[in-house]
Amino acid sequence: MKTSFIILLIMLEGSANGLVAQHLPAKQPEMVIIPAGKYFPLFLDDEPTNLDSFLMDRLPVTNEDFNHFVTENPQWAKASVKRLFADENYLKHWDDKKPFGPHPAEAAVVNVSWFAALKYCECQGKRLPTTAEWEYAAEAGRNRPDGKNEPGFYNLLLEFMSEPLPEKLPPAGTTLLNYYGVWDIHGVVFEWTYDFNSALTTGESRADTGSGNALFCGGGSLQTRDPANYAAFLRHAMRTSLKAKNTVKSLGFRCVKDLKIENSR
Amino acid sequence: MKTMLKVTGFAVFTLLLFNCSNKTEQKSCCSIHESSHQAEADVSDVSLFLLQSQWENQAGKPRKLSYYKGKPTIAAMIFTHCPSACPRIVADIKNIESELNASGFNKIQYLLISMDPARDNPEKLQRFAEDFRLGENWELIRADQSSTAEIAQVLGVKIKPLSDGGFDHSNHIFLINSKGEIVQQLAGLSADPAEFIAECKNLQ
Repeated sequence: MKTSFIILLIMLEGSANGLVAQHLPAKQPEMVIIPAGKYFPLFLDDEPTNLDSFLMDRLPVTNEDFNHFVTENPQWAKASVKRLFADENYLKHWDDKKPFGPHPAEAAVVNVSWFAALKYCECQGKRLPTTAEWEYAAEAGRNRPDGKNEPGFYNLLLEFMSEPLPEKLPPAGTTLLNYYGVWDIHGVVFEWTYDFNSALTTGESRADTGSGNALFCGGGSLQTRDPANYAAFLRHAMRTSLKAKNTVKSLGFRCVKDLKIENSR
Repeated sequence: MKTMLKVTGFAVFTLLLFNCSNKTEQKSCCSIHESSHQAEADVSDVSLFLLQSQWENQAGKPRKLSYYKGKPTIAAMIFTHCPSACPRIVADIKNIESELNASGFNKIQYLLISMDPARDNPEKLQRFAEDFRLGENWELIRADQSSTAEIAQVLGVKIKPLSDGGFDHSNHIFLINSKGEIVQQLAGLSADPAEFIAECKNLQ
C-alpha cells in the first residue's frame, strides 16, 4: 500500500517534470536548458558574448498565460494599462465577445509592450532573454546546434518570414521545434528581448563611428558576420525600429531564467 | 518501511514547500504593484511617477520616483566610471543650473540616474557628487538592473554595455514637470540650452 503510494508520488512528480507524455508539448517541462557557449553578434565589429547556460521557456507566452497574469495584475489589463507602458494597440486582438479575437487561447500572445513582457517574466520569477541569449538559442537548427550548417535551414527561415501573418495564429508548439527543444523561436511571431534597442546608439558618446551607418544606409546585411543569415538581419532591423511601449501584431515574447543561483539577481 | 514513509513525507513536504515559496514569490511581485496602485490615481497616464521601482540615493536612502513630485526636475542618466560623456553632461546641467540660479529660478531639483547599477553604489555616487561639487538640490540614484533598463526605456535613453564595463549611450537631459511628465529634452552634448532654459523658467 505504502509502496504503491510512493510509486504514485513518483509518477505524479514524473509527469509534472515532463518525463511522461513526450509527444505533447504542453506536458513537457516548461523550460529547457540552453548550454553555455559563445554568441557571435550579427555585426563584424561587435565582440562575441560569452553566455552561461540558462533555462528558456519551451513555448512562447500564450494568450491564456497572459490572461492569467492580467487577472492577477489588473494594472496590465487592456482597459487600465498606462500609456507610458503600452501604446493604444495593446492587446488589440482581445475582445469582450471573443476573448482573444481570431487567435486561439494557446497561440502566442501578441500586441504586448516590452514593459508588459518585462513585468510578466518578473512575476514568474524569470526574466526576458538578452538579444545575445535569444539569438544564440535561435541559431539552433532542427537537428543540430548550428542551424547554419543544416541543409535547407536558412531557406526554411526565409520561407517562414516571407509568409504573411496568418489571420489566425497557430497554437504555440506547432511551428518549428529546434535542437534544444525550443518551439516557435522561428515561426510566425517575433519576440521581445531585454535589450532589444541597445544595438544601435545615437552615437554621441563616441561620435558616430561603429557599424550603424554603413549597415542601415544601403549597407544591407553585407557588413554582417553571416550574410546568408538574412533572417537574423531582419530581426535586428525590426528590433532597432521598436520602442518599448510599442505593440505589434506579430510580436510576442518568452522568458528565460538563470541556471546558476549566484547569477540571479 | 517506516523510514520510507518518512522519506516520502519529507519529499511531499519539500514539494509543498517549493510550491508555496514559488507562489509567495509570485504574489509578492504582484502585490507590490497592487499596493502602490492606489497612489497612482492622481498622476497622468504618462507620468514617470507611475514607475514603481525602488531606488536608493547617494546617502543610501530609499527612494521612489514619486519622491520627486511637486517640483520640476532636471534629470539625466550617467555612470560614475564614465570617462568623458557623463562629466560633460553634468557640466551642461551645471551650466543650466547657474543660468537659472542667476535669474532667480532656484526651485528646481537635479537628478542623476545611474545606468551602471553593478558598480554605482551609494558611496560611488556620493564621491561623484563631491568630485563634481554638486549642491544639495542634486540627487544621484541607483536601482537594480531591471529597473534601470525600464527607466532607460521610458526616457528613450539607449544603453549598450561594452566589454570594458562601460557603456555606449545616448546623451539626453530631461526636464520633468512637478507631475512627472517629460516636458522638454536636450539631446547631445553641449547642445544649445536656450529653449530648454526658457521651458524651465516657464515651469517654475
